[in-house]
Amino acid sequence: MKKLILILAIAISVPGIAIFLSGCEAQRSLAMQKSGAQLWAENCVRCHNIPSPSAYNDVDWETIGLHMRIRANLTAEQQQKIVDFLKSAN
Amino acid sequence: MKKILILLVLFPFALMHVNAQDFKPSNTQFMVRGYGHTGLNFYNVDGDKTSTFVGAAFSPIFLFKYNNKFIFESELEFELEGNKLNIGLEYADMMYVINNYITVRAGKFLLPFGTFMERLHPSWINRFSNKPLGFGHDGIAPSSDIGLEVRGAFPVGVSTLNYAVYVTNGPRLKTGDDEPDEAGMLLFVNYEDNNLNKAVGGRIGLLPFSNSSFEVGFSVYYAGNVGDTGSEFDGVNALLWAGDLSFVKQITPIRGIIDIKGQYNHSQIGDAVYNDPGDAARATYTFNNQSSAYYAQLGYRPSMSGNKILKNIELVTRYSTLQTPDGSLWEGNESEMSFGINYWLSWRSVIKANYHLKTKAVAGADNVDTQAFYLHWAIGL
Ligand code: HEC
Repeated sequence: MKKLILILAIAISVPGIAIFLSGCEAQRSLAMQKSGAQLWAENCVRCHNIPSPSAYNDVDWETIGLHMRIRANLTAEQQQKIVDFLKSAN
Repeated sequence: MKKILILLVLFPFALMHVNAQDFKPSNTQFMVRGYGHTGLNFYNVDGDKTSTFVGAAFSPIFLFKYNNKFIFESELEFELEGNKLNIGLEYADMMYVINNYITVRAGKFLLPFGTFMERLHPSWINRFSNKPLGFGHDGIAPSSDIGLEVRGAFPVGVSTLNYAVYVTNGPRLKTGDDEPDEAGMLLFVNYEDNNLNKAVGGRIGLLPFSNSSFEVGFSVYYAGNVGDTGSEFDGVNALLWAGDLSFVKQITPIRGIIDIKGQYNHSQIGDAVYNDPGDAARATYTFNNQSSAYYAQLGYRPSMSGNKILKNIELVTRYSTLQTPDGSLWEGNESEMSFGINYWLSWRSVIKANYHLKTKAVAGADNVDTQAFYLHWAIGL
């Protein structure tokens, strides 16, 4: 029972902290200025080689974007900007 | 007549309208992907030489995106072992994006215990043809399990912080009844839990720089009970932790990409008394069940070179060690030094030529040296 409370406490507090920290709006602006192309170049090379936009069509990029956002723990904004860029450049 | 003419003129437009609707992209999408590898392995174990073609291995992956928040992923593994075909389910899980910061996964998923198993093990991603010591079969780190996970990422100033927290069936202690030599090891995947206790774990990762080139992560994994309910092993616990780091960046002065990866794993399993059928004199024994393993890998690819061939070549080196508990029947102290030259045919297809020198310390005897040379081709589909 104690374990269960612990698990629940962790499960609730981590996203809680996440939401709290994400409130630091002022500092965020710097990261938000990055373009989709820049985020793609910086992030999609971290685990495997970087795929070129022409490797997939728009519909595939939507699926891959969601898959990678979850697998690679990208932020929602990074996913959105990168997918928009890949779709515009393929 | 006029009416007919108007109709005739309008007809193609009407068709176009229908067509446009036909090709409206659907939110639902199904993708079949996967990867495979094949190659030649050459071994020299203290002078005994062997060589084999290996790798009739094929891993199809199915991605089903139901809508922009809900996606299902699964991977099957087909592998020849001996002359038998083994089929495995590497993972099969549902993922649901609750909001910008929280995503839930349920099912059998790769565990974010460090980064190697979740992010780097597929043959088209791994820079070497084998896993570092301590991972995979007989490894000390979990790779996948069945349960529930919450994960997400959010910006903190210019940095990015990511987290994952999960509850799974957890590992089972090998008691030695079936394989005496493995008494005290953990078996990580449990389709049916052997007790009421679940394993809890998580990883927190920080990418301190705004260019995301560097990430450090810390993972823990705890199971309060890894023994069968009601057995003499009931109540034995296990605490594992790992630290990982990654640095990948194109550096102009050296005209290429530097890729550094590493992970340290530590495992401490509670005390237990095991039977030793091979040694009548002592009959039972116990030991401090502590293991550790780590690897460090460095890669360089002259990606900015003007030469078409040179820019696809990658030089890699890796060092890994595995230390298993003194006094156990699987005690050991192994280390491996690896070198590789990879040639990238595309972003997801590679020819790897690897040389490994593995040294195993044997108590009271000479070390056993194994030299291996692998020539492999891997492709992500
Ligand atoms: C944290 C590591 C990581 C990062 C960062 C990453 N990927 Fe991946 N990617 C993977 C792994 C692991 C797989 C293989 C998934 C599998 O086979 O289970 C993969 C697979 C893929 C695939 C094959 C299709 C699929 O969805 O499985 C594509 C395409 C891809 N990644 C594109 C990208 C793009 C674009 C980015 C940048 C937004 C990116 N990746 C960032 C780890 C990563």
